[in-house]
Amino acid sequence: MIEFINVSKVYANGVTALRDVSLHIDRGEFVFLVGPSGAGKSTLVRLIYREEVPTRGIVLVDGLNLGRLRQRDVPFLRRQMGVVFQDFKLLPNRTAYENVAFAMFVTGHTRRQIRRRVPEVLELVGLAHKADALPSELSGGEQQRVAVARAVVNHPKILLADEPTGNLDPETAWGIMELLVEINRRGTTVVVATHAQSIVNALRRRVIRLEGGRVIGDEPQGVYERAI
Amino acid sequence: MRFDTLAYFLREALAGIRRNGFMSFASASTVFVSLAVLSLLLVVAANVRHLAEYVEAQVAVVAFMDPRTPRAEAAALQARIEQLPGVAGTRFVTREQALSELKQMFGDQADLLEGVEKENPLRDSIEVRLADPRYADQVVKTLNTAEGVADVKYRRDLADRIRRVGEAVRLGSAAVVALLGTATLFLIANTIRLTVYARRREIQIMKLVGATDWFIRWPLLIEGVLLGLAGAAAAAVLTWWGYERLMVEIAHSLPFVPVVPEQPLLTQVSQVLLLGGALLGALGSTISLRRHLRV
Repeated sequence: MIEFINVSKVYANGVTALRDVSLHIDRGEFVFLVGPSGAGKSTLVRLIYREEVPTRGIVLVDGLNLGRLRQRDVPFLRRQMGVVFQDFKLLPNRTAYENVAFAMFVTGHTRRQIRRRVPEVLELVGLAHKADALPSELSGGEQQRVAVARAVVNHPKILLADEPTGNLDPETAWGIMELLVEINRRGTTVVVATHAQSIVNALRRRVIRLEGGRVIGDEPQGVYERAI
Repeated sequence: MRFDTLAYFLREALAGIRRNGFMSFASASTVFVSLAVLSLLLVVAANVRHLAEYVEAQVAVVAFMDPRTPRAEAAALQARIEQLPGVAGTRFVTREQALSELKQMFGDQADLLEGVEKENPLRDSIEVRLADPRYADQVVKTLNTAEGVADVKYRRDLADRIRRVGEAVRLGSAAVVALLGTATLFLIANTIRLTVYARRREIQIMKLVGATDWFIRWPLLIEGVLLGLAGAAAAAVLTWWGYERLMVEIAHSLPFVPVVPEQPLLTQVSQVLLLGGALLGALGSTISLRRHLRV
């Protein structure tokens, strides 16, 4: 599903974010990306949804070489994936329902499809009763649930989350992480870059550890701390 | 394109115009000024061409007869000229006829000619229309050497002079239009940039969830085109109103000046203005999108 072959990324300002990274993520996997700030977690995620292109090496998604992807095909790659961020990225002047519907509308879905699908995903994230609330009327956890709903509304094959719980208290963070696990259980490949040590340790999923732009560990049922 | 998508594009474009009210107004105003000058250029050019053609078509060569020449002799000369190559037609105009034509030209201001009427200063003349100006020299030479001709006027010079003036006017206003047009482009581009900035969150999310580049561009392009059309419409209205006023004024005080009638000129000029406005708007948006929208 996702494959990195000897990928390096050097930004225009000269910072090397990834050095010779190779990894493989299968369909249906749930993967944590861990490591200190600046280890390259975000860059790795950005390479998957083609916000960045690799400086060297190859990134494949579903067999597609993203380095070779034409600019006008990028939107269609993105429709295969959902992305969730630490800062939610919701439109402040639109309700929860409208924020989710917006993602469907701008990708060309009909009103009818939208009316059927949006309540479904709001139900999935447990916010059916707050459909008409503006982001400012929602708690942080609820806002992130709206963002998750938006990320999965178009049935993506991959869900990417970059520090999804970074702005949330531990209890709320658990709720979000459980939601991601549930989405994974329904068949979506999930990649989560995170600092949430206790959650990583408790869930016992695959952990890819990054440091200084290199992969320094990859364990099938890993924990946050580096095994000595 | 689906209706609700189109409605969304229009709504966003209008929201953009409202959000940047002052800049939108400034943009539309510069479009208006540029196109008003363009419109002036078009109207003047059309009239200069009309005037030159009028002068040329009326009479190319006029031979004024010596007053002592008998009319029979003049008629013989007319017949001879008629046979020359390149002559489309001739007309013998008596001095009495010439005076009454002059009176007609002045219309309701014919009283200006009152003094002239008692002692007609005009002369008999032969008017020669040419099929082709290339034969003018031959005709002028023949007339000049003929008995009883006092003076030969070749009006082609006048038509040429009118054309030269017209050309100068056209070049000058074209330069002004180009200058104003460029300024307009950048003002529109700036206005659209403000919209891009105001909508940056939305645009970021659209890109993230896989909206196509054109889906993101359309509202911004439409916004530019609407600004252009608004300015163009104002310029068209001004042109329409101004030209009609001018027509009335000329018909009243300068009835002998040949002017291009309102239609189809005004319709054509308006079409050019609207097209120009839409183009300016689209181009301004495009400049902005290329610079500020990485899609």
